[in-house]
Amino acid sequence: MFNYIVRRLLQAVPLLFLASVVIYSLVALQPGDPLDDIIRENPRLTQEQIAQLRRAHGLDQPIYVRYFRWLGRAVRGDLGRSRTRGVPAFDFIFRDRLPNTLILTVISLVIALAVAIPVGVYSAVRQYSKLDYLVTFMAFVGFSTPVFFLGIMLLYLFVVLLPESFGLPRFPVTGFPGISWADVQTGRITALGFFGQWAWHLILPVFTLSAISMASWTRFMRSSFLEVINQDYIRTARSKGLGEQKVRYKHALRNSLIPIVTLVGLSLPSLFNGAVITETIFSYPGMGRAIIDSLTRKDYNVAMTALLFLAVLTVLSNLLADIVYGLVDPRIRYN
Amino acid sequence: MRKVIGFLLVSVLTSLAWAGPGDNSLIVATSQEPPVVMGDFLNILNNQAIKAEMQVYLFTGIYRVDIGGNNVPGVVTEVATEENGRLRFEDIGDGEQRLEIDLTLRDDVYWSDGTPITTDDVAFYFEVGKAPGMPTLAPDYWERIDLAVQDDRNFTVTFEPAQYVDLIGAPISYAPAHVMREEWDETLAAVEALDLETEADRVEELYRGFFSEFASPSAINAGRMVYSGAFQIDRWNTGSSLVMSRNPNFFNHPENQDAYAQRVEYQFIEDTNSLLVAVIGGAVDATSAVGITFDAAISPQVARRAEGRFNLWFVPTAIWEHLDINKFENVQTVADLGLADIRTRQAILHALDRQGLVDELFDGLQPVSHTWVNPQHPFYYEDVPQYEHNPERARELLAEMGWEPGADGILEREVDGRTVRFELEFVTTAGAAPRERAQQFMADDLRQVGIDVNINNAPSGVVFSGEYFSRAYEGSWTGMFMFAWISSFQESGDLWACDFIPTPENNFTGQNIGNWCNEEFDAIREQALITFDLEQVAQDFEELQTIWANELPALPLYFRSTPYAVRQGLVNYVANTYVNGNGYPPVEPELVGWSQNGAEMVYDQADYALEFD
Repeated sequence: MFNYIVRRLLQAVPLLFLASVVIYSLVALQPGDPLDDIIRENPRLTQEQIAQLRRAHGLDQPIYVRYFRWLGRAVRGDLGRSRTRGVPAFDFIFRDRLPNTLILTVISLVIALAVAIPVGVYSAVRQYSKLDYLVTFMAFVGFSTPVFFLGIMLLYLFVVLLPESFGLPRFPVTGFPGISWADVQTGRITALGFFGQWAWHLILPVFTLSAISMASWTRFMRSSFLEVINQDYIRTARSKGLGEQKVRYKHALRNSLIPIVTLVGLSLPSLFNGAVITETIFSYPGMGRAIIDSLTRKDYNVAMTALLFLAVLTVLSNLLADIVYGLVDPRIRYN
Repeated sequence: MRKVIGFLLVSVLTSLAWAGPGDNSLIVATSQEPPVVMGDFLNILNNQAIKAEMQVYLFTGIYRVDIGGNNVPGVVTEVATEENGRLRFEDIGDGEQRLEIDLTLRDDVYWSDGTPITTDDVAFYFEVGKAPGMPTLAPDYWERIDLAVQDDRNFTVTFEPAQYVDLIGAPISYAPAHVMREEWDETLAAVEALDLETEADRVEELYRGFFSEFASPSAINAGRMVYSGAFQIDRWNTGSSLVMSRNPNFFNHPENQDAYAQRVEYQFIEDTNSLLVAVIGGAVDATSAVGITFDAAISPQVARRAEGRFNLWFVPTAIWEHLDINKFENVQTVADLGLADIRTRQAILHALDRQGLVDELFDGLQPVSHTWVNPQHPFYYEDVPQYEHNPERARELLAEMGWEPGADGILEREVDGRTVRFELEFVTTAGAAPRERAQQFMADDLRQVGIDVNINNAPSGVVFSGEYFSRAYEGSWTGMFMFAWISSFQESGDLWACDFIPTPENNFTGQNIGNWCNEEFDAIREQALITFDLEQVAQDFEELQTIWANELPALPLYFRSTPYAVRQGLVNYVANTYVNGNGYPPVEPELVGWSQNGAEMVYDQADYALEFD
């Protein structure tokens, strides 16, 4: 096992190198460069002055030279500074943005699962009941509603319509409270106030993000449960006199969860990607917006750091999946 | 458990802090969050509009630009003029002059930490701007400027050779030496150990690091920066809001300052639809210059809710939408269509119903332009030749050039034995809905006179890249290109200078991208540049605009207006085209407040804006 993991990690090195070449090339080959706007805004810039600006921004060199310069520094742990923020790109991604993204995506994932599994099972158990039809209808509404539409409609409902019509408290327009645990430590806010603020701001974006997964996972759970409940071994269990509750929730439920586990596993990398649309609608400063902003503003160091992190994550999650398969299925041997 | 839930509920409800007149605060919504503010005083890291707007509250310049676009003293005792003996000119030959400007800092100006603002701060700003390898955005300015400090209060700024633009706005700025000096000395020492030529990118990175130490959210929240404006930053909640409170050491608070807003909060709501919800839901008191879109502002959803709650103002800006025309005759299409011929451009402009366009698409709230100079600018010439919508005249002009309608109504003519159809490429930024709608409108107008339009839009990243934008010579675009220039407060006519035509000889440098060179225009422009009697310069600009309008190197369309939603009762939250130099509100931040709380209206937005019915 150890040798297998070491070998896979060594194999990942050229893969990541290749990924970094491709990512850097794609980022650098975008039309235009960071100086286009600056040059356009000052008609008085001379050729020499523009050349000096290009040198200062490292844009006077061909792409491959710039890449190897970047690589040389990156392998020493220096990922450069953000062009537009001045702060180290590493700090911006891993200190400022990734934790925010994980808060939003993990809570959304947990809530989606917490709702989808019991509702899916209930819907299967009460197949063709009114409730089943209702769940099916809601699920179809859920996964056919675009995220941007749902987000805006929720905002309109909870920021404009309900407060105006019924005098309810107005929900915050932004999904991010702008506070950190450091504020609790410095006494700026109490711990309960901290959690209260976060919860209050996160309600709408979390609902928006989880609604879509909730809808599809409910359907998956329902069909998976229905498939399992009609298997021979379930019938055998029943014929042996096992109680219906035990049959459903001990035998059927566990087996029907396997496809859901696969689905959830596949969605794990997306926890780190961020959710661009939800983040944008609710002005939530996460990874998705960081990546898009860095690309549109041609902030190469930030874009490279974020995208390469996602590449590393993909490689590692593949490795993890292979290891877990082995643990789950004893027929798989590492060699 | 109930107690915990109750506490959480109270926490939540207190977070809904009663905004606006209730707590004498102002909440401004903006769709952009600046990555940095204040410490990046040379705009090396960022020069976004929102950064400049927020700094109106936080920093008082050497001069301020008032609501009428005039220089007024900021932290200095008076604006330098020849009458008060603070402006001196000296002939340095070749018709050029040296300009010396004597200035005196007020003796009651302080940074927010109570440290006096002195000439050391001016000298520090100067030293950083002049530092080796500093990638400033305006190197020509730094090449011409010099500074002499007499004492703590008095200093002299010298420009050599001087230009009249040196008299528009403040000649120099300042930065807090007492908080930034130590870090700067370390940065400079590190820079001096590097080779400026071969390690220019490392030098630039060191400078960026220096500025971010005083401009990033963490630096601001750590209290590393000080302020000289009416407000200071209390807290920057990145991704959410930036909160300012009154700067206790500001020299110019109104006497009854408690009647005015004590707290200003910028809320960052990136998605324009969400921002619209915040406005109509009453979650904010006003929108920033970088706030709601024009389309959103004139939407029925907003208009329906505006009555009795907030005013919608449309303030004309210096952003000038126009059609640039490729006039490089080495490009076959340009030569075939005769785009370098003045008559063609005049015909196209006669064919366009610009007033109809702004009435139809923008409810008449974006004024039609007749020249590149903004009507609010002191150099604007009111009697500049204008081209009314006259399709018949357009057809006549085109007929003079040999164009005749073909079988399908599209104009044709013989060129070098070939039959050429008048098919005109029309480029603009894809995804910019107002431009694309205007483009369709104009394409229809042009078809009425027999000009077929070939729309060829691309994302802004593509059309504004150097390989496209500046390469009309190579035919990267061959017809009309719709985009905007800023009609600068420091207007110099450089956009149309013969020296700034991008060609292979100058490695495609310059903004005169369509290739227009008029020697008379150039001579007047160059002479005006070294004339320091601004009335004379204004007269020169009359001539410049007349020549320009006669020859139409570009086709003027309209000046964009910025929409503002302002809650009723909020006073002095007023913008104008050139107020504060860039047009961003408020004209005097210390006077923003609520009439309900006794704030007195000094400036009325109605005097400077169009109101939406």
